[in-house]
Amino acid sequence: MSIIFVTLAVSFILAFILGIGLGFFREKFNVPRDKKTEQIRAALPGANCGACGFPGCDAYAEAVGKEETTPDRCSVGGTATAKALAEILGVTIEAEDKVVVLMCQGTKDRAPEKAEYVGIKTCAAVKLSAGGIKLCAWGCYGFGDCERACPFDAIHVGVDGIPHVDYEKCTGCGKCVTACPQKVLSLVPRNRTGSIPLCSNRNPIKAMVRKTCSVGCFKCELCVRSCPEKAIHMENGLPVVDYTKCKSHAVCVAKCPTHVFKLLEKGVFTEGEEMPSGEEPVLSETASKDTR
Amino acid sequence: MPVALKIFISALLINNIILMRFIALCPYIGMSTDVKQSIGMGFAVTFVMVMASTVTWALYHFVLLPLGLEFLQILVFILIIASLVQLVEYYLKKSAPALYLSMGIYLPLITTNCAILAVTFDNITAAYTFFQSIVYSIGVALGFTLAMVLLAGLRNRIRTAAIPPFLRGNPILFVLSSLVAVSFMGFAGLIK
Repeated sequence: MSIIFVTLAVSFILAFILGIGLGFFREKFNVPRDKKTEQIRAALPGANCGACGFPGCDAYAEAVGKEETTPDRCSVGGTATAKALAEILGVTIEAEDKVVVLMCQGTKDRAPEKAEYVGIKTCAAVKLSAGGIKLCAWGCYGFGDCERACPFDAIHVGVDGIPHVDYEKCTGCGKCVTACPQKVLSLVPRNRTGSIPLCSNRNPIKAMVRKTCSVGCFKCELCVRSCPEKAIHMENGLPVVDYTKCKSHAVCVAKCPTHVFKLLEKGVFTEGEEMPSGEEPVLSETASKDTR
Repeated sequence: MPVALKIFISALLINNIILMRFIALCPYIGMSTDVKQSIGMGFAVTFVMVMASTVTWALYHFVLLPLGLEFLQILVFILIIASLVQLVEYYLKKSAPALYLSMGIYLPLITTNCAILAVTFDNITAAYTFFQSIVYSIGVALGFTLAMVLLAGLRNRIRTAAIPPFLRGNPILFVLSSLVAVSFMGFAGLIK
């Protein structure tokens, strides 16, 4: 009988000591956090998943409080949390809904392959073993690493050999962007309008670009000169559009000799429906006839 | 060979806690996504394991044994480990923030790590002295780290492999681990 009391007493005393000890140490080693950090921590979901790149919600709250990072990194809370954090910080952020865009138009017939590849059918393996299969070193391989990475079934490699995004399903999670070894996928805000250069080739030699791809940018800078809003400039050998200036005049779309540009609202997000400058739809098999 | 060294080698290689005894498989599979991360987890485990075996050994020999309460060890040890991890977290946060940040999320995860509990029980069942139990816990923790780093390296190597669809994900990891475990069997005759 007495063993029960001893057991009870020992467990109780131990729990009591540990409880008191923890409480004491919590106070003693308390790192004071300012009120803002406290508020930010309360607004975070508390999943401690680490998706923001910090060890946990506490660490992230601290970093946001010190304004070392942006308040929109919590992917669990999404835009709601980002807005709440921005309110606490007293800043406004545009919580943008993003989608993925393929920065390459190198279909099978436009960008020829340099050899026949009979290895493991993933983009990562092709890049590692053969250094890519396209003559263009920057282009999409089309083995569908993005398709396999997509949790929403929103990106599919078409018969033309490059992936096509289903913009009704794409959530902008960015998994395909990470999976792509060529880095030809990029996240773009869904409500953005204006023209976008769909090429990643940085080769400065015109003849080399022309040889490797019929829709590659060969740095003539006609787009830079012809833009009525002066919204385009060259950066690392590729045109970059300033979307605060671009008014969708589509001059670059019409002028570009290799049809690198497309309008986001007309050519990219509504792929295959309405093509600017009379270009044939990329999606269907008819794309196999390229007269350029 | 001194007894302590024997204990150390056998805990590290011959009776490797993951590959030979199949304890703590969850952090082994979960945290071995890259080498750097697994080393971080390994050091956090080493730290807590040594602390836990120190405290539980003392508690068992000075409190539970004299009172005849050996059957309480599961309850008491879990309680001790959980509070210990929490306490260490508070301490590190205040006095060594850099270390705290580098350990990050691993520290709280160790609270429920079964390897730690297993080591504290081993110390009791094998009737180790205080010094031996410390040596044993270091050996086990380093063995844990070794297995984690090995798997993390292997995971890197199979990234581009053509794995049959029914083996993708965790199944292939267990196949890999079993192959590593088989190779660890070669250590069986290391100490007589």
